[in-house]
Amino acid sequence: MIPFVAFSIGRAWQGFWRNALMSLAATLTMVLMLTLLAGFFILQNVLLASLSFVEQKVEVVAYVQTTATDDQVQALVDRIKAMPETASVEYVTREQALEKFREAQQAQGREDLTKYLESNPLYGSVNVHLTHPQDLDAVTTALRDDPIVRNVLNIQALVDRVVTVTSIVRTAGLAMVAVVGVIVLFIIVNTIRLAVVARAEEIEIMRLVGASDAFIRWPFVFEGALVGLLGAVITLALLTAGAEPLSQAAVGFFNVLPLQLGSVGRDTAVLVFATGLGLGVLGSWVSVRTYLIR
Amino acid sequence: MTLTAAPSPPEAAASLLDRLTGRARAPRAERAVVVLHDVTKRYPNGKEALKDVDLVVPEGDFVFLVGPSGAGKSTLMKLLIRDELATKGVVVIDGADLARIPRRRVPKVRRKIGIVFQDFKLLPRKSVWENVAFALEVTGTPRRRIRPAVDSVLAVVGLTGQAQQLPTQLSGGEQQRTAIARALVHDPRIIIADEPTGNLDPVISWEIIQLLLRINELGVTILMATHDAEVVTALRKRVVALEDGRIIRDEMSAAYHRED
Repeated sequence: MIPFVAFSIGRAWQGFWRNALMSLAATLTMVLMLTLLAGFFILQNVLLASLSFVEQKVEVVAYVQTTATDDQVQALVDRIKAMPETASVEYVTREQALEKFREAQQAQGREDLTKYLESNPLYGSVNVHLTHPQDLDAVTTALRDDPIVRNVLNIQALVDRVVTVTSIVRTAGLAMVAVVGVIVLFIIVNTIRLAVVARAEEIEIMRLVGASDAFIRWPFVFEGALVGLLGAVITLALLTAGAEPLSQAAVGFFNVLPLQLGSVGRDTAVLVFATGLGLGVLGSWVSVRTYLIR
Repeated sequence: MTLTAAPSPPEAAASLLDRLTGRARAPRAERAVVVLHDVTKRYPNGKEALKDVDLVVPEGDFVFLVGPSGAGKSTLMKLLIRDELATKGVVVIDGADLARIPRRRVPKVRRKIGIVFQDFKLLPRKSVWENVAFALEVTGTPRRRIRPAVDSVLAVVGLTGQAQQLPTQLSGGEQQRTAIARALVHDPRIIIADEPTGNLDPVISWEIIQLLLRINELGVTILMATHDAEVVTALRKRVVALEDGRIIRDEMSAAYHRED
């Protein structure tokens, strides 16, 4: 077993360097394809993060009766908070609402007219952020059913639009990654196939002198794995080198949207390695199969 | 007629290398190494390349396979190395029914057959020595046994001095001798040669034939397809003539053409 593996790896290494031009072309194709795939994968993640950011902006506002006591309001807040559909719940008192109104007016450069008011005309409100905007109904109903709630702001139309847009963009993003994935698959498998076909005569001789399938197949599989791994390493090196300047360039964009992309780097590395290795091996396996004993 | 060969006689156990180097005597010809019985080969496109072929080749025989192009010589050789399977009938190589052995045993049967082609089929980037060693490497032979085996077959074909040269640096005859060395290195029972002299001039052709005759004298069965009428007629060996997929003549000590 160990001599066989050593033989296969040795032959793979030899095969790689004896056909250096072909191998380097295959590796380069692998690098380009993996970079393309990784690029789309990262883009897709940024997109998803942006979408959930947009979705979290959806806020249900329930105005509370002026007669409600603090205990009643607190009970309502606790009840809504306990619902799985809510991300966060905030109580804005009448005074805070008025303060916000004033700030908003001032920010727009308008004259503060509230000083002419005899009393605060605003209501206190319970503002709920949803985990998923689709859950609007459940939360709205729960709010409306509470006797201290005066009315709930109707944002159904807005939510519908947000949900439509985000789901279209999500599907499109996924479809894009899938299409790129298929393209990458075919190009890599085809490139490896070319490298194998270039050695068809060698394989034929191996067959004729009585080499078993394993002795024919595994050196090529290891060679494919070598191309895949080398491609993945180069791709990740390029991505790592490019990550810093790229994120610097995009810093404005990322500041506007406080995206959470913590695990993307690791996921991309895993994706690139798995795809490189997997397609290298798969490509060799299916390409050699054509030449094995019928 | 028995289709399966008798068990190996004890003297056959001596390796070819021993026999070639004079350490053991050749076994007597007494058992069939190749048996085709009622063999028909029909390709998927409907063409019948072989029809009802019967052929028995005893061990140690030297057989010329003659006939026009497209008569079925190549198909016959493909059946012998199980590159193709017979549509009908039985093909037995050294006791193994090729249609019945499992796939994983096919390489073992192929190692009993050395194959020589008109176009040599050498690997251009490997030296003579490496080309011969290649046949052993890819069949999992331990390294310590490769060196002596390759050295001795190269001595047999007379290429010891050219061992480190690349095929492109060799003459056609030397290239073919390299191919014969590669075919010999597995210590085969049979050598199948498909027009081995087809690309060589007459003098070199005779050298190759002499080499094959010498290998045959050491007990290796030889099956050689050829168009070389002069060689066939001069040697007076067994001649099997194929035409349109059928054996039309099978004579001992015969000439290239029918002589009656």
